[in-house]
Amino acid sequence: MNAASPLKRASGWVAAACLAVVAQTANASPDEARQWLERMTESLATRNYVGLFTHSTATQSESMRIVHRVENGNSLERLVSLDGSGREIIRTREEVHAYLPDRRVVLVEPRSDQGSLLEALPSPGARLDAFYDLAVSKGNKLLGRDVRIVDIRPRDRYRYGYRLWLDEKTAMPLRSVVGDGAGRAVEQISFTSLEMLKRIADKEIEPSVDATGYHWIRTGRKLVPPPQAQSNGWRPLRMPPGFRLVASRLQVLPGSPVPAQHLIFSDGMAAISIFIEPGSATGPSPPESSGVGSANAYSTSIQGHVVTAVGEVPAATVREVATSVVPVTGQTAAPAPATER
Amino acid sequence: MTDQIREQVSALLDGELPRDEIGLLVRRMERDAELRRAFGSYSLIGETLRAPGGRTAGPSFAARVSAAIDAPASATVIATPQVASHASWKRPAFATAIAASIALIAVVLVQPFAGPAMAPAVVEKWAMAGAASPTPAQSQRLAGYLVAHSQFSSPIGRRNVWSGVLAADPSLMRVSYDIPDAP
Repeated sequence: MNAASPLKRASGWVAAACLAVVAQTANASPDEARQWLERMTESLATRNYVGLFTHSTATQSESMRIVHRVENGNSLERLVSLDGSGREIIRTREEVHAYLPDRRVVLVEPRSDQGSLLEALPSPGARLDAFYDLAVSKGNKLLGRDVRIVDIRPRDRYRYGYRLWLDEKTAMPLRSVVGDGAGRAVEQISFTSLEMLKRIADKEIEPSVDATGYHWIRTGRKLVPPPQAQSNGWRPLRMPPGFRLVASRLQVLPGSPVPAQHLIFSDGMAAISIFIEPGSATGPSPPESSGVGSANAYSTSIQGHVVTAVGEVPAATVREVATSVVPVTGQTAAPAPATER
Repeated sequence: MTDQIREQVSALLDGELPRDEIGLLVRRMERDAELRRAFGSYSLIGETLRAPGGRTAGPSFAARVSAAIDAPASATVIATPQVASHASWKRPAFATAIAASIALIAVVLVQPFAGPAMAPAVVEKWAMAGAASPTPAQSQRLAGYLVAHSQFSSPIGRRNVWSGVLAADPSLMRVSYDIPDAP
């Protein structure tokens, strides 16, 4: 689709309208909302399902197909664009493969969860209440199913809010809208069909892309225990309240002889990654501020290194985090919480 | 694309397509770019029609569009790239439904952006995107960051990030260049 199409502007407007209208009917019940989130997380990780959905941002709308299969506790998944790019992302038992036919490239990432999906997911714990207002309410039917609406509204400007339409029976999300602090929609996913199945055939989670002759770009990694990661290398001096270091790893990125450091912070809903790569050895410089949908990235140069912050948070947040990163040695004070301006 | 396929797409979006036909249609979609584009357009039409507070054209306008669809091509007065390929559709009820959809799209096309606006920061960044699209190497690099990051995202966050990476046109990624406040 054309980026300038008014239809795409309409999609952003539609999402915004959904967010604004339904927000008026939500009831405050944080404990119940958290229980629904926990049910949703479990359902997404433990059910076999096949679905079609529309992914909309301010200027574009794409149709996607998702297939999810659980196999011996492993979560296998295939997401494919039906709108012409031919791009696919497949999560196998050990790796995540992103097929980019337009670049004749396959990006390969080792899985971070070492088998069990649930272990790797940030859980919507009790501390979520400190940074978001949670509420749940009854919604109108979607896809013929009764629906509960869960609202997750940020209490500051550093993170986005979410509105989730969950199937009452299974807690599977049938629609989701990401909005900014003012309730304006940034991104929407809306299912047009969703089937829960007992079995899913192997061919359903295999790529349809013939990657013969493609350049396979593999990322190496070495997990580092958080305490060690905190005392060596690099760290941000500013981080929004509630974001805690949940993982750290050294990654060998293509084109670089020196591993890059990857720090991951989470507040239980959103995550922020920081990549620190040595100078220009890692290839072309990333654009300084970029993003797709609700995900934003900001890159800057600090003491001969390219520092990039990436997350499902507003652009200003990743910028603030990236520009606060400093090299450290030995013991260093914890990152200062970001403050309201 | 045949009328039968169009009707199947419509039925799918209405949740009325028999289960055994969904798989066949999706497989066909994976092979057929025109069908994929049609599916995207139809689903967006449906989204717009279902939107709370959505702006719709009056029934008389829909009737005029319907008449235009039934009229010979030379007499069609409403001709936008989005609707031109619909002119040969025959089934009356389906044509009427599409006419209503086209009427709504036409309104969207001519109305100023009157609904709740996107966040100013987002709009600003999109405005800048036209002047500074990422190079293919940069978009690939951004995709790499996003895929690596997404493994630590929440289920909803990861689905959003992956969908963004799969965007048909990498140049649609927002991008801007400015002077950082680096220490």
